[in-house]
Amino acid sequence: MDRREFLKLGAMLSAAFGILNLPKPVIAALKKLDPKTIPKLIYLQGQSCSGCSVSLLQSGSPSPLTLITNYSQLAFHSDLSAVSGKKALDLIEKYISGKAGDYFLAVEGAIPEKMPEACIIGDKAFGQYIEAAAATMSGAIAVGTCASDGGIPAAEGNLTGAVSLREYYKKRSINKLVINLRGCSVHPDWVWQTIINMVKVGMPTLTDQGSPALFYSRKIHEQCPRYHDFQQEIFACKLGEAGCLFKLGCVGPDTAADCPNRWWNLSQNWCVAANAPCIGCAWPNFARKKDFPFYRISEQKNRPINRS
Amino acid sequence: MKVNLGPITRIEGHLNIETTVENNTIVDARCMGEMFRGFEVFLRGRDPLDAQQITQRICGVCPYAHAIASSYAQESVYKLNVPPNGRIMHNLIQGANHLYDYLLQFYQLAALDFVDITAILKYKGKDADLLTVKNWVQSELASGKSYPAAPFLPRLSGKYISDTDLNIGAIKHYIEAMEIQKKANAAAAIFGGKFPHSTSIFPGGCTQNARIDLISSYQSLIREVRDFYHNKYIPDVLAIAKAFPKYWEIGASKGGFLSYGLLPLTSEAESERVFSSGVLLDGQISPVNFELITEDVKHAKYSSPSGLKVKDSTLTPSPQKSGAYSWIKAPRYQGHMVEVGSAARILVDYHQGHNPKVKQLVERFAGQTGITPSKLNSVLGRYLSRAICGAIIADFLLDETERLDTKGPTIADIRIPASGEGFGATEASRGALLHYIRIKDHKIERYECVVPTTWNASPRDDNDQPGAMESALIGTKVNDPEDQIEAVRIMHSFDPCIACAVH
Repeated sequence: MDRREFLKLGAMLSAAFGILNLPKPVIAALKKLDPKTIPKLIYLQGQSCSGCSVSLLQSGSPSPLTLITNYSQLAFHSDLSAVSGKKALDLIEKYISGKAGDYFLAVEGAIPEKMPEACIIGDKAFGQYIEAAAATMSGAIAVGTCASDGGIPAAEGNLTGAVSLREYYKKRSINKLVINLRGCSVHPDWVWQTIINMVKVGMPTLTDQGSPALFYSRKIHEQCPRYHDFQQEIFACKLGEAGCLFKLGCVGPDTAADCPNRWWNLSQNWCVAANAPCIGCAWPNFARKKDFPFYRISEQKNRPINRS
Repeated sequence: MKVNLGPITRIEGHLNIETTVENNTIVDARCMGEMFRGFEVFLRGRDPLDAQQITQRICGVCPYAHAIASSYAQESVYKLNVPPNGRIMHNLIQGANHLYDYLLQFYQLAALDFVDITAILKYKGKDADLLTVKNWVQSELASGKSYPAAPFLPRLSGKYISDTDLNIGAIKHYIEAMEIQKKANAAAAIFGGKFPHSTSIFPGGCTQNARIDLISSYQSLIREVRDFYHNKYIPDVLAIAKAFPKYWEIGASKGGFLSYGLLPLTSEAESERVFSSGVLLDGQISPVNFELITEDVKHAKYSSPSGLKVKDSTLTPSPQKSGAYSWIKAPRYQGHMVEVGSAARILVDYHQGHNPKVKQLVERFAGQTGITPSKLNSVLGRYLSRAICGAIIADFLLDETERLDTKGPTIADIRIPASGEGFGATEASRGALLHYIRIKDHKIERYECVVPTTWNASPRDDNDQPGAMESALIGTKVNDPEDQIEAVRIMHSFDPCIACAVH
């Protein structure tokens, strides 16, 4: 699904759940979403660091265990599943072939499009699983920035042709619902509350970047408690200083996420509250270019001042 | 017969083990790391200060260890005067990460190798958590679904704990550990900004302030975690050891041990650490020399030259290379295969008589379980070693908070030179972690990471010597050659991380 389609989809979905005239695959996905039943999740990892999976276990309330058992059904997750080896492959195959009932696919990590050998599960390339799943799944959630945009594996110098889930499907003309849940790592609420929303309410309203508007509609900068410092031109010029962190490289003005209100890790902290510039981990261009460094500290004269 | 044990679950990442089994004995094993990204290539040409951020994304389980190793490497290039607060904050962040990681590894990843989850159906008490799980498992089993009670069932065939009370107690602690690990991470995030992937760790310290409100919140969270170690984690490890005593004899690796030392006591570059560094070969301890580490690629999927020193390392992927079976390189110390990780950390320190607490705890638990310290090289030994590390780290972190100066700076003034090179070494929860950075014209010219599971899950080296995990598997008796729960237990005791190992 390209940006234009997503724009269209977002606008239509924001009107009301159940409206007609939606693209066919979306209608099919929505029909399968019965608020009375809990979607089963097949959670597969591509070129990932497991940071998003670990983040999912940091959920405050509801607790991770309640989320796994009551609000979703984690039919498979390589970090938590008891079963391994051939029995695990059989389970995955049974779902993906459509023989174990309806399910949602969750993908963490990028897909090595140009080097399939760079990610293997069992005896098959990761890409083959997600391509086959497209025919049977109700929809997919791309968990984290790698699955949503390619992320770090797709950074400049990318040897494996790492791409996002949406890009991988687009290149194969697969038109299925993919919800992008950005963040490197993703915030646990962004994933679990999207799933709860799907179970209890229905399809969440999406932004034009294909992410739930509830979490990703406003820029960090707009919601930042240091916005006042920015307006007053009180800037931190050295690491560890108070004030607006823009001059150190903060990409809060580019990054859409609700970190300033949500905070992280049982609401203990978030980057800017620790005087750390936002490095844009939920920004589609995160870490993408070598000449766009995270910080404007070294070699200041050569730094671009106008950001993208 | 040949049996593939992959995908191995309840670890980080994409690991397959190809085993050859004859007469119920594993006669050959090949560890296959099956996911590659190419960090060392895309780091080239980047701003040096990107490194402690980018390398954290090697691993979302132990990202802070990478941030710290990268910071140490950069500090040695920039010749920074790290303020005491800066080093203390590094320690507070990294130490809390170890505490969470050992909990996650033992309860969420490894426990299902031993604990019989179906024992919950026999629960007769009134604990709300356990009743919720009991009702859930009951309704799942009655539902007629294809795979009820996933992800806890199905499971491999094998002999699980038979004692109902022990099983139910372990299930309760599985639930509690899921909550307690969050608190260790919340403590780390107080200074680290967030977990995973801290934004506040820099070479030279940390951007966070040493405010007293932050310090007291950190102390409170770590005290809770420390209590859990003493009251639940350590007794649970001892209970598993009592139920499965033969696992003191199973899963020994057949090489040496390497540790870089963990948690520096001062902000000086060559500071003594809480756990000492050293390499233990044939019972002899020597100081670590990074120049003696080489990386072989005869059986790894790279066409770049084999046997290069860390400083000279290059990376050319060759996915279809003949004779190669893994994306993991084979690092060797002076040609020797070594094991890294919790057991190596404890054995290296113990053999030097360095930290009196290590000696005291090793001897206490060895006495209680009736083993000699050399048996730390085993499935159970690795678990016991994590418990010992956890107990020592928790105490150290609480002491360390008292040394923060609420009025002092927390980070050095960073000036990046046009060129230079440096090593940074620390202990990730999974073992010895080394970063090397070389800077030219203000940019990264070369970056190399030799990561714990690169050592442990390495394939054969150029002399066809197996890696630590391969050597621990070969010779193991397996009851069911299809499922091989014995082999899976050995794998889990190493706590492999394939995202780290390949990167």
